[in-house]
Amino acid sequence: MKKTFSNRYIFIYSAVLVVVAALILTVVSVSLKPLQTKNQEAEMKQMILKTIGVEATRENADKLFDQYISVGAYPSVRPDEATEEGVHGSTPLQFYRYDGGIVIPLKGTGLWGPIWGYLALDESSTVVGAVFDHKGETPGLGGEIATDKFAARFIGKRMDSQAIHLAKNADHSNPYEVDAISGGTMTSNGVTAMLQKAYENYKGLTGSSRATRASSSTREEAQQ
Amino acid sequence: MKNLDLIKLPFSKENPILVQVLGVCSCLAVTAQLKPAVVMALSVTVVVVLANVIISLLRNTIPPRIRIIVQLVVVSTLVVLVDQVLKAYVYDVSKQLSVFVGLIITNCIVMGRLEAFAMVQKPWASFLDGLGNGLGYSVILIALGFVRELFGSGTLWGYPVMEKLGLYGIGYENNGLMIMPPMALILVGLIIWWHRSRNKDLCEK
Repeated sequence: MKKTFSNRYIFIYSAVLVVVAALILTVVSVSLKPLQTKNQEAEMKQMILKTIGVEATRENADKLFDQYISVGAYPSVRPDEATEEGVHGSTPLQFYRYDGGIVIPLKGTGLWGPIWGYLALDESSTVVGAVFDHKGETPGLGGEIATDKFAARFIGKRMDSQAIHLAKNADHSNPYEVDAISGGTMTSNGVTAMLQKAYENYKGLTGSSRATRASSSTREEAQQ
Repeated sequence: MKNLDLIKLPFSKENPILVQVLGVCSCLAVTAQLKPAVVMALSVTVVVVLANVIISLLRNTIPPRIRIIVQLVVVSTLVVLVDQVLKAYVYDVSKQLSVFVGLIITNCIVMGRLEAFAMVQKPWASFLDGLGNGLGYSVILIALGFVRELFGSGTLWGYPVMEKLGLYGIGYENNGLMIMPPMALILVGLIIWWHRSRNKDLCEK
């Protein structure tokens, strides 16, 4: 029953096997790429829309995004970081305007890989909506940051004189403190670091006195 | 072995987690909630079935000296392939699977079944064996996910069961330990205990 195989056979066999596997994967990857990219872009737009309370589907995300959001660029605070590619190919210092304030992108590192999100701020730098996502955090633990339940904890918190941070048994009346995730300490630390970084980068936009600069000029006049 | 046994045994005396103690790693990692546990159970079942059939078809051509590598290539190709297709056509499902993809490739059950069964059995029998083991794994995962989510977070599939029952009002608290991986190990231990006490022949003398 036991067959013997020559070294020659083994070499040829493994070479053919690997080439066949590589071919299949390459063909599939290249042919599906456009569809995947489209899905990712639509998802990013969905996330941004969600922070300002607009529920979009994958199909109408493009249209709604153009309707509600305009893309703004903030002059780099730290030029060395400006070229760093974001998770979805956006630079860290890009932000989004909506009727009522700005949406700032967040990006950072969790326990196993990249985490990212968007914070919608009103003119006084109070969070009106948040959304987070991750590449590979453990489901049920760090992965919980992607839930609406977690994002809702940010509403009403502030990003003006300091960044929001996550803490165990957070004090709910503290506008800079949000409950961390039980069992997801490393991911929670990643979220805190990500918020801190975004705070530093967007300081000029989010500082309470200067928040209006981000919104449209008509709005600025109306306030004065 | 009869074909029916191939499906039935993994539920009882041949359960991959309880008896062979394979796949415990993923079993601890993803059962803090019911939903990821179910997704993981389904993914592993699909992959172990497909890999079993493919390896079984190739079994006479595979040189024994490189069989593990061949198995790995088949499993990882399969998993990446499935992931790519999901990403393009059902993006939301692929988001659910994100972290599981890596875990499926390294799941000992897949390699274990390929090595122990598919290498020497015909494709149909391998198909059934894969299905049986996948489901046997699923049962344990789902049971753990159910218990851990219910008592750890007070929810089931995200639905706040305990809150609706009004238990928090009378002083009920969630058990934080349930969410931690060590609790999964303790629960698996308890299940193995129960399982052995019902199947005395499995106990070592």
